[in-house]
Amino acid sequence: MENTHISSSFDKDLNKLNDNLLKLGNTALDQFEKCINNFGTQNLEEIKTVINSDKILDDLDDKVQKYGFEIIALRAPQAADLRRIIVALKIATIFERIGDYSRNISNRTKLLIDLQYTDLPGVNIGKMGQKTQTMFEDVLDAYINEDDKLAVKIRNSDVKIDKMHTEYYLEIISHMQRKKNFAPTGAHLLFIAKNIERVADYITDVAEQIYFLVNGRVLSDHRPKADKTSLKIPN
Amino acid sequence: MSNNNDLKSLDLTVGDVFTPNPRLKARNVSVFYGDNKAIDNVTIDIGNKEVISFIGPSGCGKSTFLRCFNRMNDTIDSCIVKGEITIDNENIYDKKIDVVPLRARIGMVFQKPNPFPKSIYDNVAYGPRIHGLSENKDHLDGIVEESLKRAGLWEEVSDRLDSAGTGLSGGQQQRLCIARAIAVSPEVILMDEPCSALDPIATAKIEELIHELGNDYSIVIVTHSMQQAARVSKRTAYFHLGKLIEVGRTKDIFTRPQHHKTEAYISGKIG
Repeated sequence: MENTHISSSFDKDLNKLNDNLLKLGNTALDQFEKCINNFGTQNLEEIKTVINSDKILDDLDDKVQKYGFEIIALRAPQAADLRRIIVALKIATIFERIGDYSRNISNRTKLLIDLQYTDLPGVNIGKMGQKTQTMFEDVLDAYINEDDKLAVKIRNSDVKIDKMHTEYYLEIISHMQRKKNFAPTGAHLLFIAKNIERVADYITDVAEQIYFLVNGRVLSDHRPKADKTSLKIPN
Repeated sequence: MSNNNDLKSLDLTVGDVFTPNPRLKARNVSVFYGDNKAIDNVTIDIGNKEVISFIGPSGCGKSTFLRCFNRMNDTIDSCIVKGEITIDNENIYDKKIDVVPLRARIGMVFQKPNPFPKSIYDNVAYGPRIHGLSENKDHLDGIVEESLKRAGLWEEVSDRLDSAGTGLSGGQQQRLCIARAIAVSPEVILMDEPCSALDPIATAKIEELIHELGNDYSIVIVTHSMQQAARVSKRTAYFHLGKLIEVGRTKDIFTRPQHHKTEAYISGKIG
């Protein structure tokens, strides 16, 4: 199989795009990992670092969009090259958005410290975050290795996060009903759990893009979903 | 029919070479220049009112194969065409076939515009005259006007039909050649890199013309421009070293080709 273009500068352009995309993905992963750790350690300085790092992701996303746009305009890419650029533009936006969620989780963690939050039995935000983090690490590997089988596996694993989210949602609501002064803490916990669930959804989107990148067609079956929080009223 | 993976391993054409409503059929066509095999066992249909592009690197045989459809290769002594090509199920290589009316039915536009050293009017009127297609002067005038209109040239030349065709710009000359080809009411138009000598504006006008003519004629276009193939044709055929590697819907060929050689070529990885 031919792997390089006759025009070496085309390969350089694609590599530059890819390098920045991976840098963006790894930075987003790093920030997500930190925000989950910080939730447990409640280290205020580390939390501030994540909140202030968002611009790095914005700048990297801007670079990927700029390089991708230029390649389309100047190189008229075809087939796998075209898919690579379209996919890069899409998942760069997703990585940047995940960074926004990490910042939001960090902001809420800061408020939970003020509210003197201690662990709520039956709600393991750390575990949910670490499982999502593993999905994130795997999806970056799947992208680097163009591993569509791993991408499908990641996509199907999203139901585990959905189930955890539903479970924690019910537990937090129940606790809020029992203990009225828990409402502010509960509200932030609900948002944090929801944000992690959304990050897992975004990782699933990336996995689906990887499948498209490799195969040239979208996954035809419906994505498995198990988040019931919008479908049921808690008892 | 075997699946695509089997075809790749057997070195056969990937994709659907047949069309539901074929106008031209090529079956197991091979072309030799002396001992050199330029086209190797190609089978393909050209659909009725279909625009199809032939793409591939220089020397792959796409122009040679195009020229088989109206027996232009007859003019080369060392050239031998084997296999069968039919138009509406009539074998064009049959001894009874007269190539002059055949080339009226299957017209051709070349890379370099080649108007006759005659007036604009006479360039278009030449074919209808020699094929006896006009009943009188008024009828011939009508054919010339209609052909120039269909070629998108009428408004630019209607006030100077007696001027020399060779005095037009390159893009206008090429449209004049297209008008000349359609003046004899062909069924198929073969185009061999018709825009390679034209600027982007003239190219856009020819491409728009191809788009419109595709409603009435079968058009086969050989092009080196991937973007042009993508823009003008519904189907694309990729040739490599005399073989037809892959045929498919243009939008599939340029987004997810099945054969790695097609992918490599359209991505600029082999030339």
